[in-house]
Amino acid sequence: MTKYIIKRIFYMILTLFIVASVTFFMMKMMPGTPFTNQDKLSAAQLKIMNQQYGLNKPIWQQYLIYMVNLLHGDFGTSFQFNNQPVSSLIMTRLQPSMLIGAQAMIIGSILGILLGAIAAINKNTWIDSLATFVSILGISVPSFVLGVLLQFYLAFKWHLFPIALWNGWQSSILPSIALAVSPLAQIARFMRTEMVDVLNSDYIELSKAKGNTRWQTVVKHTLRNSLIPVITIIGPLTANILTGSLVVENIFSIPGIGEQFVKSIMTNDYPTIMGLTIFYSVMFMVMLLITDILYSIIDPRIRLTNKEGN
Amino acid sequence: MADIKITADSFKKITSDQSENQEKISAPSLTFFQDAVRRLRKDKVAVVSFFVLIIIMIVAFAAPVLSPHDPNAQNPDYANLPPRIANTNIPGFRGRIKNSAGIVTNPYETNNVPKNRTYVLGTDYLGRDLFSRILYGTRLSLIIAFIATLVDLIIGLPYGIISGWKGGTVDLILQRIIEIISSVPNLIVAILLLLVLKPGLTSIILAIAFSSWVTMARLIRAQTLQLKEQEYILASITIGESPMRIARKHLIPNLSSTIIIQTMFSIPSAIFFEAFLSFIGIGIPAPNASLGTLLSDGQKAFRFLPYQMWYPALVLCILMIAFNLFADGLRDAFDPKSE
Amino acid sequence: MKLNKLLVAGATVLLSASALVGCGSSSSKAQAPKDTVRISEKDVIATMDSSLNTDIIGTQNLTNTMEGLYRYKGKDIKPALATKVVQPTNNGLTYTFPLRKDAKWSNGDPVTAQDFVYAWKRTVNPKTKSQYAYIYEGIANAKDITAGKKPVDSLGVKALDKHTFQVTLEKPMPYFSQLMASATFYPQNPKTVNKWGKKYGTNSKTLVFNGPYKLVKWSSANNSWTEIKNNDYWNAKDVKVKKIQYQVIKDASTSLNLYQANKLDRALITGDTSKQMKGSKGYGIQKQNSTFYIQMNQQKDTIFKNQKVRQALSLAINREQLTKKVLGNGTTPAHSFTPSNMSFDPQNKSKDFTSETAKTGKANATYDLAKAKKLWKEGLAETGNTGKKFNFVLLGDDTDIAKQQNEYLQNQLEKLPGMKVTLNNVPFKSRLSRSDNGDFDLVVTGWNADFPDPINFLTLFTSNASNNKGKWNNPEYDSLVNKSMTEDANNPAARWKDMVAAQNIANEQQGVIPLYQNGEAWMTHSRVKDLDYGPSGSYNMVSLRVKD
Repeated sequence: MTKYIIKRIFYMILTLFIVASVTFFMMKMMPGTPFTNQDKLSAAQLKIMNQQYGLNKPIWQQYLIYMVNLLHGDFGTSFQFNNQPVSSLIMTRLQPSMLIGAQAMIIGSILGILLGAIAAINKNTWIDSLATFVSILGISVPSFVLGVLLQFYLAFKWHLFPIALWNGWQSSILPSIALAVSPLAQIARFMRTEMVDVLNSDYIELSKAKGNTRWQTVVKHTLRNSLIPVITIIGPLTANILTGSLVVENIFSIPGIGEQFVKSIMTNDYPTIMGLTIFYSVMFMVMLLITDILYSIIDPRIRLTNKEGN
Repeated sequence: MADIKITADSFKKITSDQSENQEKISAPSLTFFQDAVRRLRKDKVAVVSFFVLIIIMIVAFAAPVLSPHDPNAQNPDYANLPPRIANTNIPGFRGRIKNSAGIVTNPYETNNVPKNRTYVLGTDYLGRDLFSRILYGTRLSLIIAFIATLVDLIIGLPYGIISGWKGGTVDLILQRIIEIISSVPNLIVAILLLLVLKPGLTSIILAIAFSSWVTMARLIRAQTLQLKEQEYILASITIGESPMRIARKHLIPNLSSTIIIQTMFSIPSAIFFEAFLSFIGIGIPAPNASLGTLLSDGQKAFRFLPYQMWYPALVLCILMIAFNLFADGLRDAFDPKSE
Repeated sequence: MKLNKLLVAGATVLLSASALVGCGSSSSKAQAPKDTVRISEKDVIATMDSSLNTDIIGTQNLTNTMEGLYRYKGKDIKPALATKVVQPTNNGLTYTFPLRKDAKWSNGDPVTAQDFVYAWKRTVNPKTKSQYAYIYEGIANAKDITAGKKPVDSLGVKALDKHTFQVTLEKPMPYFSQLMASATFYPQNPKTVNKWGKKYGTNSKTLVFNGPYKLVKWSSANNSWTEIKNNDYWNAKDVKVKKIQYQVIKDASTSLNLYQANKLDRALITGDTSKQMKGSKGYGIQKQNSTFYIQMNQQKDTIFKNQKVRQALSLAINREQLTKKVLGNGTTPAHSFTPSNMSFDPQNKSKDFTSETAKTGKANATYDLAKAKKLWKEGLAETGNTGKKFNFVLLGDDTDIAKQQNEYLQNQLEKLPGMKVTLNNVPFKSRLSRSDNGDFDLVVTGWNADFPDPINFLTLFTSNASNNKGKWNNPEYDSLVNKSMTEDANNPAARWKDMVAAQNIANEQQGVIPLYQNGEAWMTHSRVKDLDYGPSGSYNMVSLRVKD
């Protein structure tokens, strides 16, 4: 197990190195400079600025410097904010994103598993159809449409929640719900399929034959066994929450990293774009690793050491 | 109790004809595909979805014929008109809308729009006909999705087959590459590509395809690994068939169900992806419309002109639901184990 | 079936619990906090270092929290740290400012002449990398210092004593007083700047204030910040509002929703939201000192050297429709690239600069498609291009507004026979670098006044100005602009005449095609009074009042 984790972490670092390199060279190909009005800068100022951003050196040197700094957790300086390190920019904006992301995953997983389970137990009844329909609808409505609807009806019309802004925990509810719907739907669909499989398997028959009640059967055998595969998709889904957070944070005016990312794109703030890319990749890989470890804990049949790296 | 005597007469000789009948398969012999199609046909939901998709596609691709107005023709004097069908009185299509004070108004009258002018789904901020834009937008979204999926197939299929077939070092390297790409979230990959490439249709298609081919390649590889162990493949190798021929004659046909199902799931996610890119402002360039750009424009106007968001959203949802349900049906049909 | 019900019940409980939490936490009709004004802002504050600030948001917040020599009150310049509005001596080359003795920094230090000397030298020092250092040009040696040719200490500023500050100029600067009200010329507290170094201005802990408000709980990248009344401010008795809260909101309907739920007192609304709210209670427009215009690349497309062609393009654009129907966000049609409502005739304060150039402006920048087509035809004939097809790339920003406006322009310009326009909407910095490289046919650019004087706009388009991307040139225009800055610099009336004449030439020539003057549409709660928007482009929050 430890050996496996070490190996995985080694691969993670290698992957990160490649991701960082590729993004570095991609960003170097882009037009634009850190300076908003280059025309008005004197040659002396430009020289000093280029020196500060290291732009006067050959690209390979810039690359080496960037990589070495990266090792120290230094993502460089934002183009958009003067003298502001990208890492501190990410840190100040991390908390809101983490909170709504985590809440969305909790809501999504719990309700998704419930919905999927209900559908599977009532397979081929109207309850199943309804659950399927709800989960399909969940993956068919973009989160930005959903966000606007939630904001308008639940917050503006019915005054149930704060409309937007970031004032305390209540403000995180609506964005979390808007984000939760897509993972909820996907987990529900997955859960239903897995649970139907499990319900059809022999050991369930055996459990029934042993005289266990339906409740016992479901809790003891079915739920646990169908949860295992569900865990595998929770990792990637958590990372994909990002897709939603980019838009949801904008709609609800949340000072999160998704909102920052969109802005960095708009303002060509390349160091921040790079920093966030690397940051997101780390998050993603860590999530996958945690998933795999969890998987081995829950399912004794899986031995991580025997498993391929993917 | 009657005495039963068994004599030779008690036995009847069966005709040869009868024994043949027993062995005979009465149903017509079906290939795997025909069988899948038969199962698919029984799935009502899938059939309905299939027809919904066909109708949407026909309507979308017939946009140049069907759309009542030029989708890009501006008429700012007639901007933001609500839906109206001229000379009728159908609720929701009377050309009335609540203004900011909550009073129902008729912008057609205030803007002196001719009485016989019909904007079935209203107009947008430049006075362009929303119905025509939705038709063209759906078409563009479908085109993007189809081509992106095709590109993703063109990369993913050979990649997966080679990786699975060759095994060993080749597989190891190819798998590491996949791992690296998939350790960056899809959206980021797409955004980075769009930043580097010139904005436009091709870039969007490439960005979407590039961020989604990995899943295809993985599935194909897994399937190839399984197929490789099959006797008939071993047989072909033994008789010295070239790998290309094996791939063409045996692998691809047997992979087809995986390919079809994955394609069916890729298309809706490509449509969705394009919508996201449009929303964050790096989608299709103006003045072209896609479902994504229509939705993101509509979303901004939702407070007062809800129809500008509802109609594109409705089309997108129906499209997504139909694709997903049809793909579900396909998966069930191709997998005889289930159901 | 029992289990099933349990699961359903569980789900219901979870859902309703979360709904209940929501219910308890927000009251339906919010009460506005007393003595507080809550305002929406377009974006975050990038920096609070007055040497490094480059944008309107930074300027506004510096104006709220710092004090310079002068401060705008309404259209007028009023003494602030200086005790009077100073008239120059020595042929307009020397300004000696007596400073008030009761001004203090929020750390207790007095504000002295030395703080000005320190701040100004810091800004022109190339090491500070101030992107606005060029504004100091005209103050003795400023340009050479920024260019690294002279030592920083040679800057023409001096603290004659603790409370007398003297500035020496190289050439007369008729707009010097306007400059003195702008944030780039604020003093800085040397102790604090030295203590924090590079971190100065990146969060509220690193700042000291000498203005009406103090910024609290802020660090750059924060989406919201609060400013509380500064009791040490020399004019604190005139500051009546205790607290200003700013909140960055990017989505127009979110902004309106918050305003209508009484969570904001003043909300910026854009696009369709603004169009729909027009005329409703609380709706208002704030014109800004900024215009948008099209530049035509004369080097790439020689056809644009023809005056009739340029005029044709200008006349083909319906600015009324563009601003009212398409943008609807508070913008107004512009007939010249110098904005209206910014500068006034020195001899008659009621005469706006643009009203004096209105005749040429309106004649050449008012929609008239028939005339446009005629001029276009004539222009093509004159340049020997009759019947030719043209495909022009219109370069623009990729903001929502820019996209809408460019779509509209595309449609309008294509009404000229043989003209096809392709749009290229790119991020701001890509647009800059592409227009620098001449990689465009038409580009939509905006300019926001650095200081409220027509010369700030007129100098953009002299033949070798770096902002003149289209390379339009007119010797007469150049000489008039030059004359206003040299010969007539100390003669306000003659200088004004030069500028009006130059603007008239530019209007007739249509060297750049004016589109609209920028403006913002705001929803303002009736409890907020006396929003004092000055010619400098920011609000003077000293005047702000709130009536609960």
